[in-house]
Amino acid sequence: MTDDRDNPHLKTLTKQLADGRMDRREFIRHACLVGISAASAYAMAGVPMATPAKAQGAKGGLLRIGTRVKEIKSPHTYSWGGYDSNVSRQVLEYLTFTDEKGVTQPYLFEKWTVSPDLKTWTFNVRKGVKWSNGQDFTADHVIWNLKRVLEPAVGSSMIGLMKGYMLDDVTVDGKASTKIWSDKAIEKVDDYTVRLNCKTPQVAVPEHLFHYPMAIMHPDSKGVFEVGSLGTGPFTLTEFELGKKAVLKARKDYWGGAVGIDTMEQIDVGDDASAAIAALASKQIHGLVFADPGQYDALKALPHLNFYDVPTAETGVIRMRCDQKPFDNPKVRKAMRMAIDPEVVLKVALRGLGVAAEHHHCSPAHPDYAQIPPMKRDVAGAKKLLAEAGFPNGVSSELIVPNDHAWFQSQAEACVEMWKEAGITVKLTPMPGAAYWDVWTKVPMGTTIWYHRPLAIMCLGLAYRTGVPWNESGYSNKDFDAILTEAEGTLDMTKRKELVAKLETIMQEDGPLVQPVFRSTFTFMDKRVKGFSMHPTNYMFAWKLSVDA
Amino acid sequence: MGGYIIKRGASLILTLFAASFLVFAVTEFSPSNVARKTLGPFALQSQVDILYEKLGLQDPLAVRYTRWLGVLLGLKADPLQDPALGLQFKDPRGDKYFGNFGYSTLYKAPVNDVIWSRLKATAALAGIAFALIVPLSLLFGVLAGMREGSGLDRTISVFGIIATSVPEFASGVFLVAFFVVTLGWLPGTSPLDSGGGWPIWSQMILPVTVLVLYDAGYVVRMVRGSMAEVMNKAYIRTAVLKGLPMRDVVVRHAVRNAMIAPFTVILLQINFLISGVVVTEMVFAYPGFGRMILDASLFGDIALIEAATLIALTIAILTQLVSDVGYAVLNPQIRLA
Repeated sequence: MTDDRDNPHLKTLTKQLADGRMDRREFIRHACLVGISAASAYAMAGVPMATPAKAQGAKGGLLRIGTRVKEIKSPHTYSWGGYDSNVSRQVLEYLTFTDEKGVTQPYLFEKWTVSPDLKTWTFNVRKGVKWSNGQDFTADHVIWNLKRVLEPAVGSSMIGLMKGYMLDDVTVDGKASTKIWSDKAIEKVDDYTVRLNCKTPQVAVPEHLFHYPMAIMHPDSKGVFEVGSLGTGPFTLTEFELGKKAVLKARKDYWGGAVGIDTMEQIDVGDDASAAIAALASKQIHGLVFADPGQYDALKALPHLNFYDVPTAETGVIRMRCDQKPFDNPKVRKAMRMAIDPEVVLKVALRGLGVAAEHHHCSPAHPDYAQIPPMKRDVAGAKKLLAEAGFPNGVSSELIVPNDHAWFQSQAEACVEMWKEAGITVKLTPMPGAAYWDVWTKVPMGTTIWYHRPLAIMCLGLAYRTGVPWNESGYSNKDFDAILTEAEGTLDMTKRKELVAKLETIMQEDGPLVQPVFRSTFTFMDKRVKGFSMHPTNYMFAWKLSVDA
Repeated sequence: MGGYIIKRGASLILTLFAASFLVFAVTEFSPSNVARKTLGPFALQSQVDILYEKLGLQDPLAVRYTRWLGVLLGLKADPLQDPALGLQFKDPRGDKYFGNFGYSTLYKAPVNDVIWSRLKATAALAGIAFALIVPLSLLFGVLAGMREGSGLDRTISVFGIIATSVPEFASGVFLVAFFVVTLGWLPGTSPLDSGGGWPIWSQMILPVTVLVLYDAGYVVRMVRGSMAEVMNKAYIRTAVLKGLPMRDVVVRHAVRNAMIAPFTVILLQINFLISGVVVTEMVFAYPGFGRMILDASLFGDIALIEAATLIALTIAILTQLVSDVGYAVLNPQIRLA
């Protein structure tokens, strides 16, 4: 074990803290990220460490949460962090843990260190962790999971996150694919030590390991999660009926000690907003995974509920396919942005429950967000750009709006009205959410939900890096990719923000998106539920909670 | 009669063939395909292409329909269960048996594992609603039709029109606002699970009430119309004039004749209660057949839509058959051939 004082990055971080280039919160976040223990990081920042995570309330009992109970079989390819992973999350744990404040802490990895060049990450696997079949959790299990998510045939979005530093582009049977860049990229040092040898510097490896598809599964599972699946987590899944409910029972032999509740039930309350309100009103459920702005007033009026919210980087991106007309012309894409006033969208679509965005997908909730001049609405400028692009009479297109997020429709309607003034005619086509995921990477223009990620560079890496699976717009910009890779390897926050500012500017000038707002995520929980705090990614951690009788 | 029933049975099979082919053809227009739906939105295109080819999805519509029919009749193995595909789709009944509706791409489970529990839940809701709708409609319909134009008739008629006119989603929300939010007497949703502290019977009250209000209003008016017509017939006037008490006139002479026309209408309500209760199931998060059909349709789950269509159609045709036979029994003037 390395003493925290020996950490090669400590000097850089403490200097930035002393110079005022990094606030205390950022210091703690980054110190933890490079492997300094949370206790040391808090002490160095002069901030008292938070109280223990687990609730101090009554023991035992049943917690019932309203949600959509969706398909859960393949955690490594999950696409609904707020739904599917909240079932498996209680059974399958993660290597690291990013809390609601964005601080990444040890979890199944007990400790880690990183080389001065941010390329070699050495992780110590926590000893004493046992699978639900009694087997010890070891480095072999970690390696099996890491290799599996990076296998192109699995189709995990982890490829998008880790491609820059762990994968090489290759061609297989004439088709573009990827492979792990070196045989030694994922290295077993001993039974309890794993090393990642990265191709390029990367600062956010521990945060990537908390991305929801990175759930740690037992190799015997062959990547399938179902009732009775093995896990290291505090619960086992005992019952699952898609569209109805999931039942999780607490393990008696959990390595992390006793948990506050005996049973967690996740109940499907459907897509009808009034059903969730009615279920809470009659106390059939204790709370919702997350609530919609349309439910806010009704739920606020129920006296037995507490309101929880957190600012996030969750957003509905109106993205344009860069390989389809007229959006293959960057001037058209910029004109689409210039015609929009984000403040209007914020008011109309989110009723103010969020912040106006700047069309670059980096949120003020991100520590690496850089403030650049906002893109003000300029209808004349938009018209001029369209004319320069060869569309003096404007352009027309169709915008697909999935109907599983009620506020998307309001956002789209507000944008359509503003586009009209710039000569842009957009036809709205609502589509069932499930059907949208069949075409989300194909339609010329669509609205896609992007949940919160702890870093701006994570969002950009997942959605806009050339060739990654979730690059829904087909955006490709070599300068952008190069700066992004550089930012991912930069620990110095001032320098990273400078790089992020460049990325934001590229997005505003050339990017494939209209992105007017970030929403605050919020929910309501029964006052009897103790230990709850809203996670920006809508994650539920049942082991933290208890329910008063 | 026997010949008629055999003829109708044959017609049922032909109708099922035609409907299943139509549904199969219509799903051609749905975006994406079974391979993409099976593997999910984030599977690589190369994987989707391989599965597409292995499942023979490039074959003409007629070939694919025949293949689906072969699986349903137990003549062919379900291609999605082929272990070589690596999908790990397994049906405990095997991959080749009569009544194999295939694998649901939405639920990632055999259709037979999904559909019957949903149908059972809706049948319970429909059964309770039907058991209330029929006697209430008959009672109020007869009372209203007995004395056409009376105060009672007008009151029942107005109430019936209002109940039928209010859509289910509106009456559902009104009832929830009053009985759940204001009074706190009843649960607001019906997950058919007593873990939330509300017994299952209490979860049935509001959805059943919504269905009864919506449907009984219509049936009451049918019964009332038929009753009023019968009460104006000459034989009723004769019965009254020969001095029979009003009770006997109504019970012995009017009601049986007045029931002939509404009998068909009443039986047709079974179809509505099985496959037309989507809105009520959505409002109360009821895990039933209607909500399942909606989810399957929105997702484009062809196997599930086909199975649901065939089941709903069979129920519709069988109730029609029962109604025709019953009509003939009630009305000797009708001869079935």
